[in-house]
Amino acid sequence: MRHFKSQLLLLLPAAAVYLFFLVLPLWTVIAESFRTFTPGRIGAVAGAPLTVKNYTEFAGPVYATYFGQTYVLAFFASVIAIIIAFPVAYYIAKNASASVRKIWISALVGLMFLSALVRIYAIELTFGSVGILAPFMSFVGVNMNGTAYINIIIIVGLLHYAIPISILIMIGAILNLNPRLTEAAQSLGASAIESHLSVTIPLCIKGIVSAFLVSMTFGVSAFAIPWILGRGRVQFISNIIYSRFSEVSNYPSGAAISIIMLVLSLLMIFIISRIATFFDRT
Amino acid sequence: MNVLELKDVTKKYGEFVAVEGVCLEIEEGKILSLLGPSGCGKSTTLRMIAGFTTPNSGTVAIAGENVDHLKPYERNVGLLFQDYALFPHMTVEQNVAYGLRYRGTPKPMIPSRVQQMLSLVRMLGMEARYPSQLSGGQQQRVALARALATDPQIVLLDEPLSALDAKLRLELRIELKEILRSVGATTIVVTHDQEEALSLGDEVVVMHAGKVIQRGSPIEIYKAPADKFVAEFVGRSNWFCATRRGRSSGDLSSYITSNGIEIRTRSAPTDRRGSADLCIRPEHIELMDVTQGVVSDEPDQNLLEGVVVDVAPLGADVHVVVDLPGETRLQVIRKNVGRIPTVVPGQPVRLCFAASDVLVFPT
Ligand SMILES: Nc1ncnc2c1ncn2[C@@H]1O[C@H](COP(=O)(O)OP(=O)(O)O)[C@@H](O)[C@H]1O
Ligand SMILES: [Mg+2]
Repeated sequence: MRHFKSQLLLLLPAAAVYLFFLVLPLWTVIAESFRTFTPGRIGAVAGAPLTVKNYTEFAGPVYATYFGQTYVLAFFASVIAIIIAFPVAYYIAKNASASVRKIWISALVGLMFLSALVRIYAIELTFGSVGILAPFMSFVGVNMNGTAYINIIIIVGLLHYAIPISILIMIGAILNLNPRLTEAAQSLGASAIESHLSVTIPLCIKGIVSAFLVSMTFGVSAFAIPWILGRGRVQFISNIIYSRFSEVSNYPSGAAISIIMLVLSLLMIFIISRIATFFDRT
Repeated sequence: MNVLELKDVTKKYGEFVAVEGVCLEIEEGKILSLLGPSGCGKSTTLRMIAGFTTPNSGTVAIAGENVDHLKPYERNVGLLFQDYALFPHMTVEQNVAYGLRYRGTPKPMIPSRVQQMLSLVRMLGMEARYPSQLSGGQQQRVALARALATDPQIVLLDEPLSALDAKLRLELRIELKEILRSVGATTIVVTHDQEEALSLGDEVVVMHAGKVIQRGSPIEIYKAPADKFVAEFVGRSNWFCATRRGRSSGDLSSYITSNGIEIRTRSAPTDRRGSADLCIRPEHIELMDVTQGVVSDEPDQNLLEGVVVDVAPLGADVHVVVDLPGETRLQVIRKNVGRIPTVVPGQPVRLCFAASDVLVFPT
């Protein structure tokens, strides 16, 4: 009994922080999202009438584009990150010696600590419309102001973070893999590639899905990357939320769009986890 | 014809020599036991045959063809790992079918071959289970079925029974031998358990510190161990450090231990004076009551006196520990059959063993 009490005590600080700084503000956002907004004011008036208009406003095709841009670009970035990161993670986990592995991991963690803004401006200065590659791009006939090009540059920006985090997550999954399994597969006639496709990848599915979800969460909530690299041509939901709160002070609308995003993301995590569990037979 | 031939194979990890100059050949349909203590290079040897480890020098040939340049999946070698390494995300059926799929068995023939293999290892009806739903013994059978399904040229079993508990191990050992015989598989079975090695193998190869020490039939390994290590590793043994006495009569020699016990041996390797380690198996020693009859001292027999310290009745055998004068302790094993007189701790006894049963290893 005393044991139980002391365990509760251990949870207390976390519970307090969680309630006070996460649940309470979230509740405020939900409450705000159902208030009527009078243009010109800053946020909703206290006691303003309740409405769902803030939500129905986003049903239109304009907003579908924003949601589409956000989720599709984040999706592609996450998938590309997995494809690039998996072989690297495999190499680091299986072939590198313990000390080389440490160097890799430190380098990857360091890469993630590099300021996001620095990296984004570095990309802009290299691949942007006035970047050092601009003459070359116009020479080979790439329209640097086209939406397609901007989309690609945004994906590149997202990959800067998604690749290292995916590698780090998948190293763990691959390290846990019994090396005898791929050997068993190869002794049964499967080539190196075949044994990875039929054994390694299915058994790492949890790690792959985790990496995907983390990259996806990061991508969907990205703000500075679409803001700077999108140059107003491509906007993510975060940019819309920001403009609702800071530029037009329509708090109820900003709150509603945040809630929609939260629900969409939870739904995505739920569905993907279900799919992963279905495939994970271990 | 030799299905497998290793010629002077050496494997080093940095400075450390894991396998040194190993030569092995195995005839079609035979079972070879590779016996040695943990860390002596048995698994490394198997991995070089399977192609997962490249030897630093020497060659590996399968069916007369040098396979040094072949990748593991290009060699037709069946491998059973110590931990079975069943694919956890595949059913029993998919596990057994795996090799058939990748070795190019025509699709329509796979299900019947899987059934045939599962019936061989008596696992029919378990097709849809996942490895996590099987007991250790069942996993072992499935792993064996998977390894044998593609009809490999040579089957390598790495400590196949060590993960099982004692009773199951004995059962499966007999079954394993039966299955291997019935499919006529040419097999190398690696083990650190001498009983397993002697019972499974047509021939036994004893390894120590990366080298092959002795190769022979199970009886030879036990009766005529090549050196002290083999004698100690295979079977139980009592040891004396002794010095040879000058005189010997006929082919009998006489040694004397540091405690002054005289031991007669047959066929000492040389007739010069010298010290040797003498070995006598506990099961070769007879135990008699001191009061029992008159003792005639025959020259080809050893006769010692001592006091019983411990009696352990272990079912089929009775293990008796006897102290000789001068702090020498001997193990005696007597079969628990017929009317054997009981001995009790504290009882003075006579020990008797033939000079020809004493193994001599000059030091
Ligand atoms: N990959 C490796 N790197 C370094 N040393 C190894 C490696 N594999 C095995 N060894 C060493 O080689 C020796 C023989 O190993 P192994 O063949 O597994 O022994 P066994 O199977 O007889 O127990 C051991 O001392 C082990 O530590
Ligand atoms: Mg081993």
